[in-house]
Parts: sequence; structure tokens; C-alpha cells
Amino acid sequence: MADQRAIRGVNRPLRRMGAGACALVVGAALAACAPGGSANDEDEDSQPEGPVSTEVPDEDITLTLAFTDGPEMVEELTAAFEEEYPQITIEEQYTQFSDYVQSLRLNMTSDSAPDIAQYAVVMKELVANGEIMDLGGYRDAYGWDEKFPTVSMDQLTSDESGKVYGTGNLYGVPAGLSLTGLYYNKELAEQAGITEPPTTLEELEQALAQAQDAGLTPISVGALDTGGIHLWAALINTVMPVENYRDWVNGVEGGTMTSDDAVAATTMFTDWAEAGYFNEGANGTGQEDTTTEFINGESVFLINGNWAAGQIAEEMGDNAGFFLMPGQDNSAEPIGSGFSVAYTMSSRTEHPEAAAAFLDFMASEQAAQVISDGGFLPVNTEAVPEQEGVLAEVDSGYQSAVENERINQFPDFAAPAMLDELTSGIQSLIAGQMEPAAFLESIQNVRDSYHEQ
Amino acid sequence: MSGTATTSSEPAGAAVTARRRSSGWRRWRGYVYVLPALVFYLTFAVFPAFHTAYLSLFDWDGVSLGVWVGLSNYAEVFSDPMLYGAVLHALVLVIFFSWIPIIIGLLMTGLLSRHRRRGMTLFRLLLFLPQVVPLVAVGVTWRWMYQQDGVVNQAFRLIGLDGITRAWLGDFDLALYAVGIIGTWAMSGLCMMLFLTGVQKVDTDLYEAARLDGAGPVHEFVSVTLPQLRGEIAVAMTVTTVAALASFDIVYVTTNGGPGNQTTVPGLLVYRLAFTEGQVGLAAAVAVVLAALILAIVYVINRLARSAE
Repeated sequence: MADQRAIRGVNRPLRRMGAGACALVVGAALAACAPGGSANDEDEDSQPEGPVSTEVPDEDITLTLAFTDGPEMVEELTAAFEEEYPQITIEEQYTQFSDYVQSLRLNMTSDSAPDIAQYAVVMKELVANGEIMDLGGYRDAYGWDEKFPTVSMDQLTSDESGKVYGTGNLYGVPAGLSLTGLYYNKELAEQAGITEPPTTLEELEQALAQAQDAGLTPISVGALDTGGIHLWAALINTVMPVENYRDWVNGVEGGTMTSDDAVAATTMFTDWAEAGYFNEGANGTGQEDTTTEFINGESVFLINGNWAAGQIAEEMGDNAGFFLMPGQDNSAEPIGSGFSVAYTMSSRTEHPEAAAAFLDFMASEQAAQVISDGGFLPVNTEAVPEQEGVLAEVDSGYQSAVENERINQFPDFAAPAMLDELTSGIQSLIAGQMEPAAFLESIQNVRDSYHEQ
Repeated sequence: MSGTATTSSEPAGAAVTARRRSSGWRRWRGYVYVLPALVFYLTFAVFPAFHTAYLSLFDWDGVSLGVWVGLSNYAEVFSDPMLYGAVLHALVLVIFFSWIPIIIGLLMTGLLSRHRRRGMTLFRLLLFLPQVVPLVAVGVTWRWMYQQDGVVNQAFRLIGLDGITRAWLGDFDLALYAVGIIGTWAMSGLCMMLFLTGVQKVDTDLYEAARLDGAGPVHEFVSVTLPQLRGEIAVAMTVTTVAALASFDIVYVTTNGGPGNQTTVPGLLVYRLAFTEGQVGLAAAVAVVLAALILAIVYVINRLARSAE
């Protein structure tokens, strides 16, 4: 191991100089100076094969943890962990979200790669390059199947190409989960004659119409960034069979988003936009701004995630409620869109046992409390004291979704270019500039061309 | 001591060689002074530029080994309709980032330069302020001002124009212009600063002569100030046109290309390709094409400025 590390260290600058040289003399030995390719092939043996140990060595160990979500939460998590394992010190490496995603590739392939890193969509390529540790051994050794929600762990599995999800090796464990749904303003709802939170999609449509008739803005959608996607995805999740959606988002061959039910769900979305159910200027309003609008009583419903619950509970108290997008009929369990703050292990780490202990710690009671305080939904739901008001409703929506395994990955996970295509496409839908079928075809193309690559 | 002794007893031939050597040294000495800057420039500007061009010949995701693909990335660039749209948007932005600020800058110069007034420094400082603020902060502020309940709409409501209020950045027809106006705001101060500085070097005799000939303020501006500022106008046009064509930060922060693809610019596409889609080779190819386009336009501007002389 140590030797290979040294060799790689020497190799790297040479290769870079080579690249410079053949930039000038194009044509000379091109294959030898192709960019990148610090491939981790030599390190294959660092992947644990066979049984792994849950025993953490007694020597002093320092781990680095690269992350972007919840710096305060992570600080408390590591503090709690270090108390449990006094011989381990964790150095936190915080980077702002957009910079984190951009630097992740370079960071994880460098000689000073962090031992543990927060999961991000760009990990796909790192998985394909063997930079992320397959955690299968630890999954069995620690019994993670019992400790973590299956549906969340499935979202962190992928094949070795890193392109097909929901199957194959485990590349991370969930720490805190996120989930989107609908918030509503109880006073305004009552004013519009909506006495109960809708339990079917039809009732929801009715409620939106009632709100409009009462002269209120039915629903706030922050389509300048991701709010439109959340609402569209919620409708897709409700109308489309779960397996079909997962095949599509996970990259399973033949997965399609151009089916009739997808068209129906998208048409419902455009119908709502056309009917004027959305806030005026939805395309020019960001998610956070819609939350403020909602808190100020400017709309009856709001599409957003659990991350907004803290703010809403604080400002609105008992006046706010939360529910998942209801199913097509009463018998259908609602489905949430969600993902987790998850941690992965670098295959370059020299202390896999210590890093695995940290991952396992995410399912502990101590971690659950910290994660819950940090505004995420902890994996260990039993360890958290009962919440009140809207926070309790978020929790119960989350628990039912977890129990029934009805959480679907956010749709932008289907391909790296998907987020931009979805954002612009949904803005076009809202503005009536694009037909549902054309929109679905465009996002299907993005997915297909990604898998062709 | 021994030094003085040797010099005095040195044969003539040696003195000549020493002088010759020192004249060679003198010729090269200038380069030694610029060496540190040159090293930095070559390392951080010239080399990365060539390296980008080199990367554009590969299919590379930024992580694994790149594959040599020759010019096929360029073929893809020229067949991508997204890119044409983005270039078109950038050209519209040129009007807002370059032409309008130059006109505003010239007007302000005409107003401010004719007479010395008290508080000129303050005026200049205020008008130059937008240049000092980072563009990301500018973008965030304008995004907030353009909101449904933002300052822009409040102002319109105040003067009774309720009918035209909207979330400006979310409007399919107007978002690009809304973004352009941010550029106008940011660039006008720079143009005015350049022109005001330029006016100060104009010989006051010219103004006096013009006035003796009975020229009014407009005539004076057109026949004295404007021709004397040709150089500054060329500089302003170059800088602001490059800023428009290579724009990224303002667009990224305010609309991120939306609504739909109404405000995409080439810089944004380069960023997306390289950092979110992991197509570094293709991103490099777009960047090279963009750089070539900018160089061509800047060349034309400078040729026009020179031939007009």
C-alpha cells in the first residue's frame, strides 16, 4: 500500500509535465499523455474482500471528513463520535455546496483524499473509477440492514459503472433524510372552506379550486430554482407506478418517462399552471422566497421539503400543517420524493475500520438526536423525542413513507445534466411554452444520451 | 583595494570585452525585471489557455483516463442548437453591457466635464461604485429587486403602473433584457470613468478655440470631445464586449439560464458541461470556440478604431 502510494506520487507530476509537452507537439505519443487517468487500478486490494472487522484499532487515528451539509450538525456528530471512540480524531473539511460538488472529483482522486466524504451525484464517476469503497462487507458485519431504512440504502447502491442505481454494491450510508411534501396554512384553508387536509389527488385539486374561488393564491411554487421540480415529481410519483419511476431514475435499461401516465401527471401540472393555481411569477421566485410568501400568508399551500419545517414551525406555530402528495384514491399510500445526507468512504483510506465505525455511528441514538436538531430526519426514528405541530406531521409523513418503502429518489438523479434540463423545462411548462409530451421527450433524451456515453 | 589596482592596469582589450558584455547584459536586463510577472503570466494565463485547447481534443469526464477524439468535440459544438441560442443571447447582452453603457458614459462625460464643479470626486466615486462591487453580490441584489414584491415592482406600483409588474426574471420575453439591465448598471460607471480621464488630457486650447468659433455645448462635444476620446471608446468597447460575451456570474446568480433557456450564455454552458455533466473535453471545445469568437470581434473593434484615425 505505502509503496504504491509513493509510486503514484511520483507518477503524477511526470504525467502532468508530459501533458504540457505534448500540448506543444501535438501528435507525439498521444495515448501516453491523455488527461486524467490517475485510475485507482493499483489500489484494488484496498477494497475489502471477504470478512471485514468491526473492531476499531486502539492506536491514535485521524480521519478527515469532507462534507457540505449542516456544518454545525457535523461538528456535533463528530464530537459525539469522538467521545465514543477517544482514540479517533476527526478533522472536518467543510466546503460550500456548489464548490463541494465541483471540487469533489479532484479531491477524491488526490493523494490527500478525505477518508469519509458526503455523498453527491458526481460520485457516479468516482464509483466507476473505483475511488469509493464498496461497503458490502461492513453492511453484513455491522448488520446495517437492520439499522438503516432499506429504501434509503437502496438509493445508495449502484453497479460498478456508477450509472445504474438501486442494485449492486453499497457505496454509502444515510445519516439524515429529506423529504418533500405540501405545507398548508390552516387559517387560510378554513377561510376557503377546506376543513381537512386532502386525502386524494382529486380532493387536492378541489381544494386548490376552492382556494382560488376564495380569492387566495392556492399554491406557492418556487420554480426559479427547484420548487417546480418538486411539485412535478410529486405528481409523477403519485400517478406513475413506483417500479416504473425507479427504473427510470435509477438508470435501469428501458426505463421511460414518456409513458401515458407520465403525460397525464405532467398535463395535470400544466393544467394547474394554466388555471392560475400557482403564485404569480412562480418562474421568477426561488424556493426560499416562496417559503417566506407562505409564512406571510400569501398562499394556502406550499410545495417544499422537510428542510423548511423548522422555519415554518417557528414562524407559524400551530397554523401550519404538512402532508405528503395524496394518492389517486384513499387506498393508495402516499409517496414522497426524498434523499439523504449520506456518507461514503474513500477507497484510498488507510483506516477503513475507523471510517466504518463512523458510518455505523449514524444509526446510533446520539446521532439521531443531533441529526434531528440539525433539521434532518434521523435514520433511527425511535431515538428522537416526539415533536409537536407541523414538525410532528413531517415526522409522521416520513415514518409512513419509510415503513412502506415509498420514498422515491429526486428526479435529477437520473443523469448529471438532468437538473438543468428539468428546471428549464418546467419553467417552460409553467409559461405554456412547451407541451407536456415534448418536455418528457426532452428529459428522456438527456437520460438516454447519458447512458449511451 | 585590489580591485582598483586591477582596473587601472587592465589592458585595453579586456575593457572592450567588459563593455561589450555589459551592453549585452543591458539589453537583457529589462527581461529580468519582467521575468517574475512573465513566469506568472505564462503559468497561469498562457499555459492554461493552451491546455484548454489541448483538453478539447479529448473525451474526458474529469476523473478517468481521457480518450483522444480529435476534432469530434468541435463537430458536436457546431451541431448543438443550444449553443447557437446561447451565442445569440450573448450578442443581445453586448447591447446592454457595451453600447448602452458607452452612450451613458459619454452623456455623463459631456455633462460633467465641461465645467469644473465642486464635488466632482464624489460624483465620480458614486458612479464608479458598481464597478467595485463583486458581480455575484450585484446579481444577488438584483435578483431580489426583480422579485414579484421587489423594489422594481414597488416603484412601478408607486407610479401607478401596476399593470406591468411581474417577476421579471421569470418572464419568457423579458428575462434576458432584465439581465442585460444589470450589466448596464454595472458597466456604465467603468465607461464614464474611462471617458472622464480621457477628457482631462484634451488640450483646453481646443475647447477655447471651439468656443471662440461659437460652438454650443452639443457642437463642442461632437467636434472636440468625441474625436479626442476615440481611443478610450475603443478600450471601453473592447472591455465591455468581452464582459458580455464571456458573461457568466450575473446570469448564473440571477436566472441560471432560465426561464426555459431564455438567458443561457456560452459561459454558462461551459460551466455546466465541465462541472455538472462531466464532459470536460466538450466544455473545453465550447470555451475555445467562444474565445475565438471574442478575439475575432475584438479584432474588428480595434481595426475600426484604428482605421477611423
